[in-house]
Amino acid sequence: MDSLNTLWLSTGLANFELGQVVMMLVGCGLLYLAIARNFEPLLLLPMGFGAILTNIPVAGFSEAGGLLHYIYYAGVDTGIFPLIIFMGVGAMTDFGALIANPKTLLLGAAAQFGIFATLFGAIALNYVPGIEFTLKDASAIAIIGGADGPTAIFLASKLAPELLGAIAVAAYSYMALVPIIQPPIMKAFTTDEERKIEMKQLRPVTKIEKIIFPVGVLAMTIFFLPSATPLVGMFCLGNLMRESGVVDRLSSTAQNELINITTIFLGLGVGSKLSAEAFLNVETLGILALGAVAFSIGTASGVLMAKTMNKFSKEPINPLIGAAGVSAVPMAARVANKVGLQANPHNFLLMHAMGPNVAGVLGSAVAAGILLALVGG
Amino acid sequence: MDNMQQQFIEAGTLMLTGMVFVFAFLGVLIVFINTVLAKLAVKFPDAIAVPSSRPNKKSKSKSTANGDISPAVVAAISGAVKRYRTQHGHDK
Repeated sequence: MDSLNTLWLSTGLANFELGQVVMMLVGCGLLYLAIARNFEPLLLLPMGFGAILTNIPVAGFSEAGGLLHYIYYAGVDTGIFPLIIFMGVGAMTDFGALIANPKTLLLGAAAQFGIFATLFGAIALNYVPGIEFTLKDASAIAIIGGADGPTAIFLASKLAPELLGAIAVAAYSYMALVPIIQPPIMKAFTTDEERKIEMKQLRPVTKIEKIIFPVGVLAMTIFFLPSATPLVGMFCLGNLMRESGVVDRLSSTAQNELINITTIFLGLGVGSKLSAEAFLNVETLGILALGAVAFSIGTASGVLMAKTMNKFSKEPINPLIGAAGVSAVPMAARVANKVGLQANPHNFLLMHAMGPNVAGVLGSAVAAGILLALVGG
Repeated sequence: MDNMQQQFIEAGTLMLTGMVFVFAFLGVLIVFINTVLAKLAVKFPDAIAVPSSRPNKKSKSKSTANGDISPAVVAAISGAVKRYRTQHGHDK
């Protein structure tokens, strides 16, 4: 009888707590979004599964000695996984559209206003009982507006590790929701005539420009913002491997096998932070709300900047491409192209929108570096 | 309450510094692209850029000034025709 009792006590059924069940359901919700709705499945699937594993009673996945504990501390806490992913993203990024039309860097800069404006929102939420965000927490939440998953995870792991789970869920969910969040904002801030504007064809970009570009960006970051060099440095390394043309094997590994392997572990590591005590609170609701605000402000400021540039530029600029400045590569550029096509079926904005889109990646990495330098110290 | 005010001031300062810095950084990058990269592009044009910007140049190398096909191309075609005819003859 005693052994039967011991066996019963070692079952999951005897040890379940309500919070764990709820978090397992949250994990199942993430799996549903990934599998049925195709929302950023590459990350949400391992993340959702990680959330289920970490909440299994008795198994101790996230306690010292557990698999997820080591994955988290080896790769997420140290910042290694998001940086390896950033190298892969660099190896997948073609800066041609940006080099051909460098003005679009200003759109990538303007869209970062979403990040900095959200800082206010996060601090203002301290008026709500049960929420207490420090400036570090606020900065980690605000970076969701950068619409860049690895950057958000990297900054959150440095500034507010206890909020990492909620921040990562918000960042990736909103990135998946770009096609739903952005179009109404883009249409609200532009006229039909503006959406019809056709842009001049981009000039061809030479190989030497593409090779020197990442080196130049890295040099500038070293001089002006060393705190951003982990992100920008890995990004530039990936991009140089791609553009140099001499290490195709490395470039291919960085943008395929390596980024895929790391994504599995990053997803699991972030999922391990989805425990009941860290996720089931008012702060998570606040983070989800602020993430949406950050995205919307970023989109609007990118569009408004493009409108302003169109007024003063000799060459016409379609304000829709400003929305791509939030990064979320290449989804935001595709959205700009789609909304443009709705207004004018002969207007293909995809290549033009890729400029601000990759500028947004650089912009959010720079913004993360600024937040690290000013708040992280 | 004072603490909140203090935090708002800090957030405001951070926003201002952050936006100015992001614009300055990416602004310098624009200057870099427009000067250094643009000069490099002119000095070292690559094989992909040449035909797309000056399409006539490539065809010139394969034909003579008056528009005739260059002797090298004629030789290659004649060689191929000769070989085909020989093979064709053997088959019969």
